[in-house]
Amino acid sequence: MAKIKRKGESGAAKNYVTRNQALKKLQISLSDFRRLCILKGIYPREPLNKKRANKGSSAPATFYYHKDIQYLLHEPLLVKFREHKAFAKKLARALGRGEWALAKNLEEAKPVARLDHLVKERYPTFTLALQDLQDPLNLVHLFSTLPTNPIPGKTLVPSAVIAECSRLISEWKVWAIRTHSLKKVFLGIKGVYYECDVPGQGGENVRVRWLEGYEFQQHVPTDVDFRILLTFLDLYRTLINFVLFKLYTEENLVYPPPLDEELDERGESVGAFRLVEKKAAEGVDGTGQVSKKAVRKAIKGIKASGADADVEMGEDEDEAAQDEDAEEDFVERPSKADEVEDVATAPLTTYNSLLATSSTPSTSRQSLLFSPYTFYLSRETSSRTWEFVIRAMGGKVITSLSAPSPSDGATADSITHVIIDRPMTAERMREMESGRKWTWIQPQWIADCVNRQKIISSEGYGPGQLLPPHLSPWDGEGEVYRPWLEEENKQAAEGAEAEEEEDDTIERDAVDEDESEDEEEEADEDETAAGEPSYPPALLASALDPENASLLHAAELEAETNGTSHADFRAQLKEATKANASKVKSNAAGVAGTNKKKANGGEEDLRKIMMSNKKAKLYEKMQYSNRERAAEKEKLEKKRVAIEKRKRKEARS
Amino acid sequence: MASRNATASSSRVASRAAAGPSRVPPSTKTKKRAVEEISVEDDEDEFGAAGSGIDMSDDDEEEEQVEGEGGEDDQEEEEFPEFDSELEDGEEDLVAGEGEDASDGDDESDSAYGEEEDDEESGSESGYNSSDIEAMYDSSPATSPSSSHKELSTDEKLSKMIAKHSVKPDETLGSDAKISGAKEGVGRLVPSKLVEGGYKREYEEYEAGYGSESSTEDNPNTVGNIPMEWYDDLPHIGYDVNGRKIFRPAQGDELDKFLANVEDPNAWMSAEDKLMQQSVQLTDKELDIIRRLERAENPDADYDPYQPTIEWFTGEGKERVMPLSAAPEPKRRFVPSKWEHKKVMKIVKAIREGRIIPNKPSAAKPTVYAIWSDADQANAPHAMYMPAPQLPPPKTAESYNPPEEYLPTEQEKEEWENMDKEDRKTDFLPQKYDALRLVPGYKNLVQEKFERCLDLYLAPRTRKVKLNIDPESLIPKLPAPKELKPFPIACSVQYRHPGDTRVRATSVSPDATFVASGSEDGVVRLWDLGNGREVWRWDLKSGPIQYVEWSPYKDEALLVALVEGKVVVMSPLALVAPTVAAATLTHVNTAFASSAATTKMGAGKEVKGTEAIKWVRPSEKERERGVLVYVEVPGTPKQVAWHRKGDYFATVAADASNKSVLIHQLSKHATQSPFRKLPGAVQRVAFHPTKPHFFAATQRYIRLYDLAGQTLLRTLQSGVKWISSMDVHPGGDNLIVGSYDKKLAWFDMDLSAKPYKTLRYHTRALRSVVYHPTLPLFASASDDGTIHIFHCTVYTDLMQNPLIVPLKILRGHRITDGIGVLDLRWVAGKPWLVSSGADGEVRLWCS
Repeated sequence: MAKIKRKGESGAAKNYVTRNQALKKLQISLSDFRRLCILKGIYPREPLNKKRANKGSSAPATFYYHKDIQYLLHEPLLVKFREHKAFAKKLARALGRGEWALAKNLEEAKPVARLDHLVKERYPTFTLALQDLQDPLNLVHLFSTLPTNPIPGKTLVPSAVIAECSRLISEWKVWAIRTHSLKKVFLGIKGVYYECDVPGQGGENVRVRWLEGYEFQQHVPTDVDFRILLTFLDLYRTLINFVLFKLYTEENLVYPPPLDEELDERGESVGAFRLVEKKAAEGVDGTGQVSKKAVRKAIKGIKASGADADVEMGEDEDEAAQDEDAEEDFVERPSKADEVEDVATAPLTTYNSLLATSSTPSTSRQSLLFSPYTFYLSRETSSRTWEFVIRAMGGKVITSLSAPSPSDGATADSITHVIIDRPMTAERMREMESGRKWTWIQPQWIADCVNRQKIISSEGYGPGQLLPPHLSPWDGEGEVYRPWLEEENKQAAEGAEAEEEEDDTIERDAVDEDESEDEEEEADEDETAAGEPSYPPALLASALDPENASLLHAAELEAETNGTSHADFRAQLKEATKANASKVKSNAAGVAGTNKKKANGGEEDLRKIMMSNKKAKLYEKMQYSNRERAAEKEKLEKKRVAIEKRKRKEARS
Repeated sequence: MASRNATASSSRVASRAAAGPSRVPPSTKTKKRAVEEISVEDDEDEFGAAGSGIDMSDDDEEEEQVEGEGGEDDQEEEEFPEFDSELEDGEEDLVAGEGEDASDGDDESDSAYGEEEDDEESGSESGYNSSDIEAMYDSSPATSPSSSHKELSTDEKLSKMIAKHSVKPDETLGSDAKISGAKEGVGRLVPSKLVEGGYKREYEEYEAGYGSESSTEDNPNTVGNIPMEWYDDLPHIGYDVNGRKIFRPAQGDELDKFLANVEDPNAWMSAEDKLMQQSVQLTDKELDIIRRLERAENPDADYDPYQPTIEWFTGEGKERVMPLSAAPEPKRRFVPSKWEHKKVMKIVKAIREGRIIPNKPSAAKPTVYAIWSDADQANAPHAMYMPAPQLPPPKTAESYNPPEEYLPTEQEKEEWENMDKEDRKTDFLPQKYDALRLVPGYKNLVQEKFERCLDLYLAPRTRKVKLNIDPESLIPKLPAPKELKPFPIACSVQYRHPGDTRVRATSVSPDATFVASGSEDGVVRLWDLGNGREVWRWDLKSGPIQYVEWSPYKDEALLVALVEGKVVVMSPLALVAPTVAAATLTHVNTAFASSAATTKMGAGKEVKGTEAIKWVRPSEKERERGVLVYVEVPGTPKQVAWHRKGDYFATVAADASNKSVLIHQLSKHATQSPFRKLPGAVQRVAFHPTKPHFFAATQRYIRLYDLAGQTLLRTLQSGVKWISSMDVHPGGDNLIVGSYDKKLAWFDMDLSAKPYKTLRYHTRALRSVVYHPTLPLFASASDDGTIHIFHCTVYTDLMQNPLIVPLKILRGHRITDGIGVLDLRWVAGKPWLVSSGADGEVRLWCS
């Protein structure tokens, strides 16, 4: 006889526990449980049958997977929580009694919860960690831009945490610059999105995307609970630390990259990192503690080797670089005392310093998009964003700090592009160029170039010009069809071959291309508008009705006035008639087609009678969503056509 | 004994607590005790003087109050009760043992009792009383009793010595000796007579005390404590020791009693003593008790409920310091621990030798290290593991400079603003800025990140399978309708009824020449199938025609029409071939010849009330019009089902209770009711096309009966709410059922008792379902005004399910009053369909 099954001992009733049951079982407070859940990545579940999971009660409850809670029972963190609770009590007592020595001793032996095991547990492989890096990077960046008291009078964010966040995000970027792994940039209304290709376990590339808000003070709503965010941040910081360690180690670099104390003293928090090759560091100090002196020494050595290795750079360029190094300047920032408060809002540094020491990059500079160019960043552009992007793509950057104006300083000759985000007259531009040949562009040009992985024409990107739309590089296949983009791409692809041969004439080529493109576009538009070669109206009319003699006569008269020969006229008429006939035919076919479609539709309707109920419902759902999507698409397309029409009208009048 | 003693003392305490300190012992006893106490006191006088250095405790005062009656000079009585009693006892015992031996009778036991009682009193009143405590405190060598020994008489000394040596020194002689004495019972050690030099403990007789039976009060009643009513009818009241009767004391009669009462001024305060059989005069004290009891007062006159409180431990100079132990602080409390010292020295040594480094920073793990290696393996996938979904990448709509079509119109903006936050498709409105420098900071960045965090740890996760299939693949693969031709496609002939009357029924003659229709105006019309001309009509003048049906027998032209209470058998004799007409007439009229227009029930069982069914020959005039027979039946018959041979037909009248289903035989003019009891309201019936089986459909079930064996063969569960129509496949193994709840159920009777397919494609109730008699077609008509044509191939192979293919929807009938198409018939041998509708039309649909 089969075993008697009792209610509530198997299935959903056994698989799920409510939150209160979990709390009782773990004997911890709700806030500790929350922390544990965040750190361990435990989340509520939605049982298929809530009533069954809740042992017959239909009261609203949050359910957790029974085994998740079971595993929490022997979590080392739980022990740490308890230890900390005891410690807090002891410390409070000691302080209350004024036993300062005891308090000091206790404070020294404070139990510290480490999250290393959680990182390994939650992300057993490096690839998994990378796949989940988006949220950590977003949050860490967000915190690096926050003040210590985001909501006055509420939870404080320790300034050390903020400093660590900004260190982590800079280290991440430094790594991205060094390995040139930046693939996409997108300027959204929420901020700038970046995407990197990061080599995971076994060399498979993982795409990591993160968002950096624009450099403004963040608006923090009062209902944001920073305790939750800080708990997440604890885990994320640990995770990013380990990821960076792995990435740096694979690049044969010392992690954490030592801080140049001198630069640090000058108020340089991010730029003070120096990338040090592992061997050099080991030679200096066995313990891994890198002294300032050692760093200096290492830097010198690397500089020398870097100059040797950098074959592509000409002699003068090298000089220029050295000059750059020498007079390397950084963003002015408030004094150190203020900085504690202000770490968040402080603008980032130039990346010159970051890369000054990087030895031969892993990818050859030749293949990089911007390697032949030097960009001047005008002061209203965000150096945090554009320096990172340009350097990651192999370009060189001169900021407005080293030279207040592009024409200033010795670097003026090496500049190829000036990135400017404000209107400027052509005269002024020419004046500043003073014979040199600079390309004046708005920052969007860089993002568009990166996204298309090629240098696009700077036409339309000039200062003060109305920019072409900036499209998301993550637009999928189901997005709105834009024929003009396709064509542009094709043209660009054709042009690219020519581009390779003559580097010098890129600009002009691009311009030419653009022009020709424009022309073609126009032609295309005409074609699509008329749908056929243009004929005089009378001729058209007669073609429509070939039997009508009066129309024919009118057409002949018109031809005479136009000065067309009779033979030509005949040929034209014949052609027009033919075209017309084909059109009529196609129309008829179209009508027939729709009829047929209708008939087919009727038939399909009938076949649907034989579907099972389940399938019929599924089919309806799918059809509904398809229809929704199509409607959305159609709406956008319609809007686009309307806008184009309006624009054309405006252009004509 | 010890335990008894203890319990007795405790009970005493309880009783005293209830009764208060002033007891009311029997006077005799009190006196005796007083004497005893005095005698004891005499002995103690010196002792009391010796102990005069000791503080007078409150205890004594209390004792004084309590024992007020006892005597004035027993002040010192309780000074050292434990010592006294023990010693005294011992001494007395010794004396008694030597002198009077066993004859220490009442006196001694009484004295012992007295002693003991006092003992107990002090012990029980304050189990751990203050005098004890003080004694303990003051037990310094200076005030020890030994010093006072000098003042003791030599006799006393001697007796004490004897006592000391004769009694094993008691360790508990200290602080709580008294308690322990009380506990273990104070017995006397008496030299054993049996064992040389041995002692035995001998306990005093225990007197239970006041109110007990063994009290010293002499009881003149010698008959014993028996209910005296036993002797009510006897002259005596018991027996004396020698067995002689004790006679009842002389008592006067009632009059005497009354007179005595009147005469005796004390009569009111005398009571009858049952045991003594005499009246006893109550003492003043007893009367007082009675009075007090009447007034619900404490019966004890001396009891003072408002005594002043006695402060034992509170008040000036009476506070006690805890702990109560007088033990001196041990030395170890003041001397540093040797072992601790040793331990500390060990550590000190270890530190000096460098084995222990104080304040050494713990060898912490490095903050970062290589946590991942290339050999790492991902966890095995588990059904309950659901990683959080990644944030979707930003689309062009989020661009700071999107193409213009992405920008919302004013209306869309307003809609977005008015929508709830949860309902919005995107959390932002697309916006366009001319230059990057004009883009403001995004206000909701922190909020969004916070919400993401909340989602990560608070949002329940479920696995949702996203089907990535072509929806078209869900549609079953069926042969194209055009491959399954011929089937009716279009309406070719219309048979219009005047006045748009509802045409409830239609039928096509088996030779496919005529269409009969029965309309609600009570006329059965006969139409030429091909050209739609009305060729004949019968005006039955008895309400709407419910049903018409041609006999399927081709050699006869018989038509049955149903009206209220009547089944009419007709034939268009003038229109058919003479041979057919003759055959029809013979078939119908033979029975008239034999039974002259009478009614006869069939061979079936007699059913009560069948006399109502009559086969009536119509009048001559009607017969000329072709009406052959009337069968008068109960209720309104609604359906006719012909047997394939054209002799039997069944009618259903739902409102005719147990005679709703009737089977009529034309050749014999016989009617039988096959069911004695019906399983429910029968909706439709049908004959099996080949076997002698009979289908009857109730509202929900279809039952198959064997007519020959008269048994129920099967019950099919339709799964629909209300069956409206039914038809049997010509093969006999399949069945379709239409229902008022818009469903069509196909039964494969070889397969199951439940429908093989239930189709729901009509939007209104189904009215009629019919199989084509020869072609693989069936059709259904509904109130939605449409007729659906289906192809249905039934395979002879049992393993293969029937193939059903929807072919065509025929539209044309108008819906009037919510009713569309009412009846359908196929034209025999052709893929043509005849339908009748509520719009007063009969239509012929041709391929």
